[in-house]
Amino acid sequence: MRTVLFASLRTYARRYAAAVVAVVAAVALIVVTNALTSATKSGLFAGIDAPFRNAVGAVDLPTEEVTQKYTEKGGWALAASMQPVRTDKAMLGQEVMVGAVSTEKRWQWQELEAGRFPTRAGESVVDANAAKTNKVAIGDTLRVGTGESAVETTVVGLVDAPSMWSSPVYVTWPEMQGWKNPYVQAVLTAGTGDEADKWLNTDDYLTELQTQLNKEVNVVAYMVLIFAFIALFVSVLVITNTFSILFAQRMRDFALLRAMGATKRQVLRSVRREALALGLLASVLGLVVGAVLGWGIVAIVRQLAETAPLGEVALEWPWLLSAFVLGTLTTLVASWLPTRRLMRLSPLAALRPQEGFDVRGAGMFRLGLGVLGTLAGIGIIFVAVGWDDAQTGMLIVLVGCGITFLGVMLLGPALVPGLVRLAGAGLARVAGSPAKLAAANAGRNPKRTAATAASLLVGVTLTTGVLTGMNTIRAATLDEMAEQHPIDIALQAESEPLADSVVGDAKAVPGVADAVAVPGALASVEAEGKPVPVPVVAPPAGDIALRDLTVKPGTMVLSPVAASAFVEDSFEASGEKVTLTVGDRTATVTLDVREIDGAAQISAATLRELTTDPQTYAVWVRADAGADPEDLAGTLGVLAPDAELINGKAQRAWVELQLDVFTWAVIGLLAISVLIALAGIANTLGLSVLERGREHALLRALGLTKRQLRRTLAAEAVLLSAVAAVVGTALGVFFAWGGSEILIGDMLPDARFDPPVLQLIGVVVVAGVAGLVSCVVPSKRATKVSPAEGLALD
Amino acid sequence: MTQTSVPTMTAAARAVGLTKTYGKGATEVHALRGVDLEIRRGAFTAIMGPSGSGKSTLMHCLAGLDRPTSGEVMVAGQPLQNLDDDQLTVFRRENVGFVFQAFNLLPMLTAGQNIQLPLELAGKRVTDETRARAQMIADTLGIGKRLGHKPSELSGGQQQRVAIARALVTQPAILFADEPTGNLDSETSAEVLDHLRRSVRELGQTVVMVTHEASAAAYADEVVTVKDGHIEGVTR
Ligand SMILES: Nc1ncnc2c1ncn2[C@@H]1O[C@H](COP(=O)(O)OP(=O)(O)OP(=O)(O)O)[C@@H](O)[C@H]1O
Ligand SMILES: [Mg+2]
Repeated sequence: MRTVLFASLRTYARRYAAAVVAVVAAVALIVVTNALTSATKSGLFAGIDAPFRNAVGAVDLPTEEVTQKYTEKGGWALAASMQPVRTDKAMLGQEVMVGAVSTEKRWQWQELEAGRFPTRAGESVVDANAAKTNKVAIGDTLRVGTGESAVETTVVGLVDAPSMWSSPVYVTWPEMQGWKNPYVQAVLTAGTGDEADKWLNTDDYLTELQTQLNKEVNVVAYMVLIFAFIALFVSVLVITNTFSILFAQRMRDFALLRAMGATKRQVLRSVRREALALGLLASVLGLVVGAVLGWGIVAIVRQLAETAPLGEVALEWPWLLSAFVLGTLTTLVASWLPTRRLMRLSPLAALRPQEGFDVRGAGMFRLGLGVLGTLAGIGIIFVAVGWDDAQTGMLIVLVGCGITFLGVMLLGPALVPGLVRLAGAGLARVAGSPAKLAAANAGRNPKRTAATAASLLVGVTLTTGVLTGMNTIRAATLDEMAEQHPIDIALQAESEPLADSVVGDAKAVPGVADAVAVPGALASVEAEGKPVPVPVVAPPAGDIALRDLTVKPGTMVLSPVAASAFVEDSFEASGEKVTLTVGDRTATVTLDVREIDGAAQISAATLRELTTDPQTYAVWVRADAGADPEDLAGTLGVLAPDAELINGKAQRAWVELQLDVFTWAVIGLLAISVLIALAGIANTLGLSVLERGREHALLRALGLTKRQLRRTLAAEAVLLSAVAAVVGTALGVFFAWGGSEILIGDMLPDARFDPPVLQLIGVVVVAGVAGLVSCVVPSKRATKVSPAEGLALD
Repeated sequence: MTQTSVPTMTAAARAVGLTKTYGKGATEVHALRGVDLEIRRGAFTAIMGPSGSGKSTLMHCLAGLDRPTSGEVMVAGQPLQNLDDDQLTVFRRENVGFVFQAFNLLPMLTAGQNIQLPLELAGKRVTDETRARAQMIADTLGIGKRLGHKPSELSGGQQQRVAIARALVTQPAILFADEPTGNLDSETSAEVLDHLRRSVRELGQTVVMVTHEASAAAYADEVVTVKDGHIEGVTR
């Protein structure tokens, strides 16, 4: 049988193309994931110990008190804060990470490239790379921070730092402490510390830190692996289908072998070895492709972004081995069912005409199970939607989605050809007999048609599900952002009012649609016997903000941070009454604490009670839709250097960007599965073309032109992919509905289920076009055969 | 050797100096080596000869399924060598009917749909008239009651009769049959040959049939004998 095995592999190698592509893609995805994570880890870990060189130990994420305690004893805080940074010429950024640099030699862990380290407050160092890109030089003055806590600092040195701890700018620690909430990753201690503070010695601390980072990187890696598993699942479908078709075409060969005296076992062993050889080959190829891609991607990223924390790629054996084993196993598992069918083969089959094989539709049992699964799954989703506990509900919805999907896959052999016929009848009106022939072709082998469609169904369902779900979450999140940050850009005065000219200047800035001066006063509230200054503003009516911000008389709306200046528990302070004082006038207001930007807000009436002479305490700006919020903030900030600049538009844009990046990353990873499925469609079509050589010759003899033949194949591919896309979209939207229903009401109270119609139509159209592309090669091959040649085929 | 007694005007098909060579160099095969032939209109012509003599090749060239290496072919007054692939296809669709030895029918279509197929391909509307004509032909061939069945549910003889019905439905100028009875028993063969012969007699159809059975050739008006790529003789 060895001769048969090798001859088969040689003869049919090309027909396995889709199976190989599927396995290679899935295996390569795993290897690329490993390449990226290993590069990320080595990038992160390189120089991770630099700040700790002179530390005896450290406390991770210390409280303010613990930080204070150890810094007073000669320790050092590894701190950073996001702050706007600008030179006298330009804005470097609205949210720049600013680190801390020590004036003491032993904590100066950064590597000095030029100049010197700071010796006092008011001096700073800048990362050499950041200095180059932002054109900052030694001797320049930077303004870091916003409002009255902003610091002026002179650049005295350029430094380099390991990526884990690097920031573009470093100021001294005392200056940093003036900012609202600097983030302290660790406090390094000069001597031994207390167990009670969770103090660790340096070695233990670094080990712990690396373990933690490892875990975080691995979590991302495992999320990407989910997509590798989806790709593997689609591969199973594609490979099963490929084997089914190939074996159907080779039934006659197998039967002939049996007739000549080969035992069932021999035939079976031969084809299983074929599958094994294929799996091994494709997996090795996948490893190679993955390694090359991984190295390539890392090299390109490092080339494009010098600061990206990517180190050397170091592929790990467990990953490579698992990828290899998974690829091979997938192939073997996928070939199992089709090869089992060979067991039923009788030698007599060699004498029967070809069309007798494997054209049966699905049995009643399968269809019954499919109907049951679909209905049960849908039922489960409806039950879960009403569940009280969102987490359990979500889990039940997921189970329901899985069962529904399996049910639909089982129904495939009845559902898909039926829908193709329906769509074909419609298409026949415009495309004539090619569409009719195509629809008939799709119905001739229901199982094959269904399996081909199923592979695409997986990707389309997941893609449309993610698109729809994310659209709902996105709308709700953006609504919430608009609620919290309704003002595009605000200049908020702190103790001194803004100059009268600011609002006029702001209006003149290009990109500003409108600007208003918001009247206010510097009030005070009594707390623990002392007056606490509280700037208040009275929001004007009108459409300067995304919603009407006017406050009910007698109420004061303020953020928890602002409230914490004079109440005990700022989150529970809503409803409390406080008395505002300006000069000798007072007003009592009820607190309404919620996440808002800027100063406390009162009504115009309350402001009139407090002062007869309100002054401009804020300027609110509405930006043109297309204006760049960072640029705008840079220009506006210069108008009132002492005011706090609140950039709501940038914050909204940032969240929107995050949502988009997440969505498209997921879609991009799912695209791998969709591409595998399309390779499967091309392969099925290609194999069908080989199988139907004689039929096509007959049609050509009867007067089907080449173009009509091409159209027939194109119609078949488009009908199949469009039906899969439509069914997948229906499922995806339904599943997303189930998921959103649970989130709505619990986690996203104000959300509304909102399918992105245009994007969904886009998915169906892309699938149809991709189907069209997938039939290019097969139809070229089909039309190359002249009718006379085709008639000689059997 | 040309049938000079038949005037050119009445020829349904004509070949002049036809050669066909497959392959190159060592594997070169001369399937046809200069064939001159006229097919008389309204006659039943049989092409006979041993296996590998070039019968099928000759038929394919005459029917516009394949292009000769050299020489000219004229069918229904139309020289074929000047037509491109699409024109040739449309020409076949309108002027030529085919019956092959096996796998004549498209397996996914019913017998009735198979018969209507040439009309569909031509983009012609299926009118009552064409449907009645198809039914009439099917009835004549004795398959009128089986039109709703798929080919796999029909016997070999029935399948061949469906193929003949399909070839006749467009009223082609010439009908080619390549060993139409090759797969059938003698009784069924006789039926099928009888139907072909009746279509010549009763409908005035021109039929060219390739066969290597003398018993089949006996139904023909003329017998063309091919040997080794040459016409060896024509008997009437
Ligand atoms: N595509 C091809 N390539 C190479 N040689 C071919 C091809 N088709 C036919 N031949 C050769 O041309 C010669 C004539 O073939 P043809 O099929 O016309 O014979 P035939 O008379 O129809 O035989 P049969 O009675 O067996 O059908 C044969 O020698 C055959 O091997
Ligand atoms: Mg022949």
